[in-house]
Amino acid sequence: MKKQKAIRYFVSLPSFLFLLFVNTTSFGQASLESLVAEGNEAYNAGEYQKAISLYEQTLAMGQHSAALYFNLGNAYYKQNKVAESIFYFEKAKQLSPNDENILFNSAFAQNMTIDSIEDLPLSQIAQLQNRLFSMFSFFSWSVITIILLWIFVVLFIGYIFFKTEALKRTLFFSGLVTLLLFIGCFMITFTIDQQNKNTHYAILFSTETEIWSEPNQQGEFLFTLHEGAKIQLLDDLEDWQKIRIANGSEGWIKNAVFRKLD
Amino acid sequence: MMLRFTVQFLMFFLVLGTSALEAQIRFDAKVSKKRLGLNERLRVDFEMNENGDNFNPPPFVDFQVISGPQQAVSRSWVNGVQSFSKTYTYFLTPKKKGTVRLGQAEITINGEVYKTSPIDIEVINAVEKPNDPNNVDGLIDGNIHLVAEISNTNPYLNEGITVIYKLYFRNPISVSDVSELEAPSYGDFWSHLIKIGRAEINMRGSYKGEPYNEVVWRKAVLYPQKTGPLKLEPLTLNLSLSVPSNRRDLFGRRILTQSQKTLTTGQRIINVKELPLRNKPESFTGAVGQFDFDIILDKDALKASESFQAKVKVKGKGNLKLFNLPKISFPNTLEVYEPEHDEQVKITLSGMEGTIEDNYTIVPQFQGKYPIPSVAFSYFDPTSASYKTLNSQDLLVDVFDGPTSSTARNNPQFQNRKQLLTTNEGAFRFINLDTKLNLIKREIFWMSRLFWILILTPILLLFTSYLFKKFVLGKSQDTQTQKQRKAAQLAKKYLSSAKKEAQNQARFYEALERALHNYLKAKLKIETTEISKSKIKKLLLEKQVDQRTALDFIILIENCERARYAPESSVIIQDDFEKASGLIVKIDRQL
Repeated sequence: MKKQKAIRYFVSLPSFLFLLFVNTTSFGQASLESLVAEGNEAYNAGEYQKAISLYEQTLAMGQHSAALYFNLGNAYYKQNKVAESIFYFEKAKQLSPNDENILFNSAFAQNMTIDSIEDLPLSQIAQLQNRLFSMFSFFSWSVITIILLWIFVVLFIGYIFFKTEALKRTLFFSGLVTLLLFIGCFMITFTIDQQNKNTHYAILFSTETEIWSEPNQQGEFLFTLHEGAKIQLLDDLEDWQKIRIANGSEGWIKNAVFRKLD
Repeated sequence: MMLRFTVQFLMFFLVLGTSALEAQIRFDAKVSKKRLGLNERLRVDFEMNENGDNFNPPPFVDFQVISGPQQAVSRSWVNGVQSFSKTYTYFLTPKKKGTVRLGQAEITINGEVYKTSPIDIEVINAVEKPNDPNNVDGLIDGNIHLVAEISNTNPYLNEGITVIYKLYFRNPISVSDVSELEAPSYGDFWSHLIKIGRAEINMRGSYKGEPYNEVVWRKAVLYPQKTGPLKLEPLTLNLSLSVPSNRRDLFGRRILTQSQKTLTTGQRIINVKELPLRNKPESFTGAVGQFDFDIILDKDALKASESFQAKVKVKGKGNLKLFNLPKISFPNTLEVYEPEHDEQVKITLSGMEGTIEDNYTIVPQFQGKYPIPSVAFSYFDPTSASYKTLNSQDLLVDVFDGPTSSTARNNPQFQNRKQLLTTNEGAFRFINLDTKLNLIKREIFWMSRLFWILILTPILLLFTSYLFKKFVLGKSQDTQTQKQRKAAQLAKKYLSSAKKEAQNQARFYEALERALHNYLKAKLKIETTEISKSKIKKLLLEKQVDQRTALDFIILIENCERARYAPESSVIIQDDFEKASGLIVKIDRQL
C-alpha cells in the first residue's frame, strides 16, 4: 500500500513540474473566469457595487489572482471605502509585489487615509536582505533550492564516474559551488518561511481606534489610528490585541475591527 | 381753633392761680425708649421746673453711664410768665438683658425732697443697627436699597447668567452723587460688562411691591468657570444723599441735610452645578448653550497645488468664546495650514450670540480623492439638561490634475521606483482585465511531502551511485591492478636474473630467453622451450593476446637466440630488457 503511494508520487512528479510552469487549472474555471469578466464589465459601466459582489463571489469560490484583488481595490476606491480598498491592494501586492499598477493605485488609496505613518529606516544590511528575499517569490525560492540540489547531485555523480582528471576537477568544484548555493537558497527560503509564519499583518477597519500602552484602562493612552492603517499583529490578551505599526510604535487595541492579510 | 383758644385761656388763669398759691413743683424722669436692644443707647432726662439742689441720680446698677450728667437750664419769660426748667441728662447702655428698673432720683427743692417714679425698661437682644433716633440714617435705611439681581443662582458650569445691579430709592431721599467704592472682579467667572451710558431713573420701579425710583447701575454677563459655591463679590457704592432733617426753615419746610451713605449689595453665593457625567459624549469640549454646527468647503474639485478652504462653523447662543472648535482630521497627504480663527459674537443680556469659525487653508499636493471625515461637535443644552451631538456630513475633495503620490516613497525597496511614479503624471489606473485565476488554498510546496521527496531523491541517488562505484566497478578495477602488479612482479622475478647478467651479453640473452620461456610456462602451463615459434604465436593468439603483442614476443625471443651467437651493443641489451618487461606486463593484462 505504502509502496503504491510512493510510486504515485513519483509518477506525479513530472506532472507536478509541468504544473509549476503552466498555471494550475481546475474544474469550473471557465465559469469563474466569466464571472470575473462580468465584474470587469460592471466596473467599466460604473456599477462598482455590482462589480464588487461579482469579484467577491469569485473569491468565495476559492480562487484568486493579483488582478482580481487589484480590481477589487479599485472598485472599493471608487466607492470611497478606504479600508477595503487598501486591504485588497495589499492582498494584490502580496501576490505580485512589484506590479507597477498595483503600487500606483495603492498610493491613491493611501492618500485617503488619515494617518501618516513613516516607515522606520532600514539598515543597509536589512535593505540588502529585503532586496535579495524579494528577488523571487517564496515558491520560486523553494523550487530553486530543489533545482540547485539536483544540479549538485548530477555534477557529483559525474565527478564519481568520469575518469579524466581535468573534467573530474571541473565537476568537483562546480559541484561544490552548487552545494554552497543550495545551502544559501535553503536558508533564505527557510528564513522567508519563518518570517511569513511569525508576522501577521492586518488592515484596520474601525474608523477610529485608540492605542494604549497596556492591555487595561489604567495604561497610558498613546495615540489614535484611523481606518486603513496597516498593523502588525503581535500578542493578544483577552479582548486586547497588541499591534505594531510601520514606524515602530507598539501598543494595545481593544474591540477594534481589522482584517488579517493572510 | 376756638376750642383750643379757650382751653389755653382757661389754662392761663389756672396756672396763674395756682402759681400764685404755691408754685407747683414737678420732677420727672424721661427715657428715650422703654424697649431697647443690648447694644443700644438709652437717654434718660431728669427734668424739674424749679431749681433744686442735691441732685441724687438713681444707682445705675444695670447700666453703664456713657456720658452725663449734663446739666441744662432754660429760663424763659413769656408774656410775663416765667418758666424754668433744669435737666440732668445721662446716656446709658444696658449691661444685661431682661427687664431692668431704673431707680428713683432725688432732688431737694425749697427744702423738700422730691423723687421720680422708677421706670421699667425692657432690654432685648442686640439689634442689627443700633439706631440713633437723632440721626438721619434711620430714615435713609428704610428708603434706599442697592440690589444685585441674579438671573439664575444655580446655573450649570459655563451656562451664562446675568447680574443686574439696581439702586432703589424713594421719597423723601434724593441722590445727588454716586461713586463706586468697590467693584466686583468676578474671579471665578468669565465676565463681560454691558455698557450703560447715563444712569437713567425709572420713576415707576418697584421694590418689594412698593413704588420706588429705580436706577440700573451695572449689568454683567457671567459664565462660571468653576463648580461649587462661588462667591460673587459685593458692589459697594458711596452715595451722596439729600435727606430732610427734623428741622424746618422759616417757612415750615424741612431743611435738607447732605449725608454720605455707603451701600453694598452684600456677598452673594452662586451654586454652580457640574455638567452631568452621564452620557457625556467624547467629542464634548465644553460648549454649553444652543448651537448649529457645520463644515463648509469652498470647492470640492480642484487641481493639485491649488488651495481650498474648509470652514468649521458653530453658530448659536452660549459660551461661544469659551470652547475650542473641533479639529478636522485631514488625510495625511494634504498640506494643511494652521486654521484662522474668526469670531463674530455679540454679548447681550441673554449671553453670547453669534458665530465662531476656524478657517483651514488646504493645498493638495497630489491628485486623488480625499475624504474629509465627519466631525462631531457636542454641546450641553442647559434648558433640556442634556448633551446633544451634531455631526457634519462626509465630504469628498476631488483633485483631478497633478502629480500622483506613491506610498512607495518610504519603502527603501522601491526607492528607485519612487522617482518614476512621482514624475509619471497619470490618473488612477484602470483595472487589470486578466481573468486568469489560481486556487487560493494552494498547497505550500515548501516542506511538503513532495518537497522532501525531491530533496531526498537526489541525495539517495548520489549515495547509491557512490556505493555502486565503490563496490561494483571498484572490485573489477582492483583485480586488474592486482593482476598487473602480479605480472610486474613475475616479470621482475624472471627478468631479475637477466638483469644481473647485463654486462655479459651472451649470458644476458640466455637468461632473458629462459625468463621469457619460464614466463610462458607459468602462464600457459606449457613447456615452450621445445615448441616452435609459430606454435607459441598460435597459442598466444588463442589466449586472446593481440596479434601485435604476440608478434613482438616472438621477435624478442628470436632476437635472444640470435644475440647469443652474434654480439650486439649494450644499448640494445638495455632496450631489449625494457621491451621484455613491457611485453610481459602487456601479455599479462591481456591474458
